[in-house]
Amino acid sequence: MTAPTDADVVPVTVNGVEVEANAGELLIDACERNGVYIPRFCHHPRMKPVGMCRMCLVEVDAGRGASLQPSCMLPCTPGMIVDTESDLTKKAQDGVLEFLLINHPLDCPVCDKGGECPLQDQTMAYGPGESRFVEEKRHYEKPIPISDTVYLDRERCILCDRCTRFASEVAGDPLIHFQDRGSQTQVNTFPDEPFASYFSGNTVQICPVGALTAKPYRFKARPWDLEEVDSTFPNPMGDRVNVQSSRDRVLRIQGVDSDATNWGWLTDRDRFSFEALSHDQRLVTPLVRGDSLGNATDDGDELVATSWAVAVERAASAITASLEAGGAESIGVIGGANLTTEAQYVWAKLAKGVIGTDNVDAQLGDGLPAQVVTALPRNTISDAMAPGSAVVLLVDDPKEQFGTLFLRLRHAAVEGDITIVELSPIASGLGSLVTVGAHARPGDVGAVARAIVDGRTDVEVGGVEPAELQAAAAALAARAVTVIVGRPSVAEQAGPIIDAIAAFTELESVSFLPLLRRGNISGALDMGLTPGMLPGRTTLAEGGEWYRAAWGTVPADSGLDTAGMLEAAVDGSLTTLVLLGADPLADFPDADLASRGLAACRTVIAVDIFASSSVANADVVLPAAGFAEGAGTHTNLEGRLSPLMQKVNPPGTARADWLIAAELAWALRADLGIESPESAWAEIERLAPSHAGATVEQVRAAHDGLVIPRPDDAGADRPAMVSFSAPVPTEIVPVDGYALRLVADRRLYDQGTIVQHCASMAHQSDLARISMHPLDAAALGVRDGDLVRVTSARASIELPARPDRCVPRGRAVIPLNRAGADVRALIDLATVVTDVRVATL
Amino acid sequence: MGLLDSVRGFGLTFGKLFDERVTTEYPAEKREKSERLHGRHVLNRYEDGMEKCIGCELCAGVCPANCIYVRGQDNPADDPVSPGERFGFVYEINYLRCIHCDLCVEACPTEAITESKLFEFSFTSRDDAIYTKDELLVGDDGKPQQLPWEDWRDGEDQHTSAWMRATAPSGDASYEGRVAWAGELGYGTRDPEVGQSGGDGD
Repeated sequence: MTAPTDADVVPVTVNGVEVEANAGELLIDACERNGVYIPRFCHHPRMKPVGMCRMCLVEVDAGRGASLQPSCMLPCTPGMIVDTESDLTKKAQDGVLEFLLINHPLDCPVCDKGGECPLQDQTMAYGPGESRFVEEKRHYEKPIPISDTVYLDRERCILCDRCTRFASEVAGDPLIHFQDRGSQTQVNTFPDEPFASYFSGNTVQICPVGALTAKPYRFKARPWDLEEVDSTFPNPMGDRVNVQSSRDRVLRIQGVDSDATNWGWLTDRDRFSFEALSHDQRLVTPLVRGDSLGNATDDGDELVATSWAVAVERAASAITASLEAGGAESIGVIGGANLTTEAQYVWAKLAKGVIGTDNVDAQLGDGLPAQVVTALPRNTISDAMAPGSAVVLLVDDPKEQFGTLFLRLRHAAVEGDITIVELSPIASGLGSLVTVGAHARPGDVGAVARAIVDGRTDVEVGGVEPAELQAAAAALAARAVTVIVGRPSVAEQAGPIIDAIAAFTELESVSFLPLLRRGNISGALDMGLTPGMLPGRTTLAEGGEWYRAAWGTVPADSGLDTAGMLEAAVDGSLTTLVLLGADPLADFPDADLASRGLAACRTVIAVDIFASSSVANADVVLPAAGFAEGAGTHTNLEGRLSPLMQKVNPPGTARADWLIAAELAWALRADLGIESPESAWAEIERLAPSHAGATVEQVRAAHDGLVIPRPDDAGADRPAMVSFSAPVPTEIVPVDGYALRLVADRRLYDQGTIVQHCASMAHQSDLARISMHPLDAAALGVRDGDLVRVTSARASIELPARPDRCVPRGRAVIPLNRAGADVRALIDLATVVTDVRVATL
Repeated sequence: MGLLDSVRGFGLTFGKLFDERVTTEYPAEKREKSERLHGRHVLNRYEDGMEKCIGCELCAGVCPANCIYVRGQDNPADDPVSPGERFGFVYEINYLRCIHCDLCVEACPTEAITESKLFEFSFTSRDDAIYTKDELLVGDDGKPQQLPWEDWRDGEDQHTSAWMRATAPSGDASYEGRVAWAGELGYGTRDPEVGQSGGDGD
């Protein structure tokens, strides 16, 4: 947004009324803010002005007589006299529209934009009414696919430059451009280069005509069919979205401009993920083990459909049996990071307050301990990217995993005065926008952070040269630092990252943004879906008494994490496992342990929306409601609460997650006392130390959400929140000169359940490949595309290789969850890092 | 109230006993249809057999009774159903709701939906009352399909023709109906309608 550079107020006369504009504010924005709408096509508040369409011509007298000037290019100056309704202005608008329509095909009845089209609307409002044009219009082939999801119809294009500006200015993927000249000017991709941007869907949303349309929405509905609701997309950024449905099916998701989070943008994966919601493989009915005739029997080999009463009773009796045989410790809950915050609380209450087990973990060995994450002082995204601040990136590539945060970072790096220091093991999609790329060797990031913080930058540390260390220290000096921290690679254990966090906490002005994967992971950690914690960022030790008074019972000792639970299942001490939208077989870093653990469990109860591989092996399957099928609250990485609204009904008899927990509790002869998401939230607000003062009404009313903890001291009488204490530093693993250190990262399109159930995205997941520095590849005699054998201490896999200059020396990158080869076979959770040897075949 | 009032009240009744009868014995006899009768809809085709409907849903959008349900779909490239990018994949009219106002006909940009003078709706279930593309679409010769409960007689072909505009474009009251499209594949012919003003009757 073209933010006012100066707070000075400038008096401007608009249509005879004196209004106050901010100095530097564009006339078109100042007029709109004061209730005078000037028609426009090319002007977009989140992009730089270009003055392409001339629709916003108004009569302006800035001291040298009245003349027509484009108001989107004109900063307000004192004493400006503007007439947006003069005869001359109207003649100009009339003429501009007549020219724009000369080559516009007027195929509105078959155009997806028809009915919500700015060109239609403004022609009706400001246009000449009748066409004088009888000649043949310009013709192009229509429509041409410019990417896997976007169609381009050049006949309809009015050359407003919005999509091309978005691609080059906002997304940094300048893959579409104006081509040819004069009346032949057209937007197009370059030959043989599709518009393969992760953000291509945004151009469809901002196109003021129907020139760009999206394949997943193509001809699905007309705008007047759609019902809409503002909601939040359940990703770690908490992107604000508008969910649109027709006949009980979500048909489109559009970004909503929220200053605090996504600025109206979305990644294609999120924008088009609604396709999975109405997939015919959704779980629609409870399943239990039964025989091939479909009868529910205790020892059947197949999953058969049954009623909720039978399924819940089976689940409850399995839990009761485990409770009697092995106590509460023999029951575990894995997952829950994709639930609403309310559902997470209800499940935490069921597990810890009714069943009494602390074996609860929302992360599958690929996150950071909640005791660390919830204890860190947090910042907001906007403050982290304010001019004059510094950002440290120690996360997955934000372009691959957290697209809208990437767009915010990119904007701040290009426009704002911020420095970005990358400590992640490989370079991110920010590329040269990063101030310093101090790519620490996996396992050494703690030492690198320590060297930067302490200023010991005279020797090489962890694969980072002294020059880079000095540059990093200089980039952070005297700036407010925000560390965006996550788990950039599951082949590197959490220890070194926590050491890096501990080092950064010693900086003078530092705050954190914990960026972990899975939608509502922040909510899950806040709600205590993690061992040793209770809702409201408090520990068992600190908050035990408080919650015992409220819930009746609370586990005495800290429980097991996901790895611990799977090991306990293997040795027989854990007999009943609940999977809350979790798929350990595909998602846990140690696939072998996951499969042995699930097989050894007496009963696996799965709550999910799709029959993933883990769900297919479960004993009781309970179908859950997905996104837009239930209401609740989302928590993003800042701790920002924003409402998730229901738009459609869940398929079949699928139920909301909180309701499943309440039913299960009832079958266990306990009453959770929760009747709706609102009553769950009331309890969270009443009990959780971090959520004091955040009522459901406040959350619903705030357009940009509500950041917790609230600044007031409403929670003063509650248990203290967890505080950060640096653990014993993890030992640095010596470098094996003959090996490459493995980085297992994630890409936008993978074999994930949602992506694979979206027709427009499933095929975009590439095959797994091993990338390494070209010099490393040359030393090993590996050329592009060669099949290589990659061997770790644990196993070996074969996959094609690709030399990549973005990968630092001595490292090998294999993406997780891709078809072809499973990198998880190489990873040993017992070692801090994984070294692999690469050999040509 | 006088004593003779009740006798006087029957005056009209007895008077009419000797007037000309206006009642006809349907179905033995069918009355002439009025010029602007709005009967059941038909979905037209072009002469090459392509469907005119492009699934734009303007008819559904304008329908005051919400009785039309349309969904469009991408035209199959190798075997297009209609000219252009999209065709009407689903087209349903619920005749329990339809008020035959003909606004759908007005809204249609391709003159795909028009109303005939066929008036016989004697369905026996709610499902039968919803006409789908199977019932509405004209045959290859442009003639509407005869539904089982429709009683067609010789010389009534023009009742099946359905190219008439109900009202004038842009609401022009003196509009004289014209066949507005070329290459019309209609069945039977019907005289153009007479305008609402300026005609012989005025």
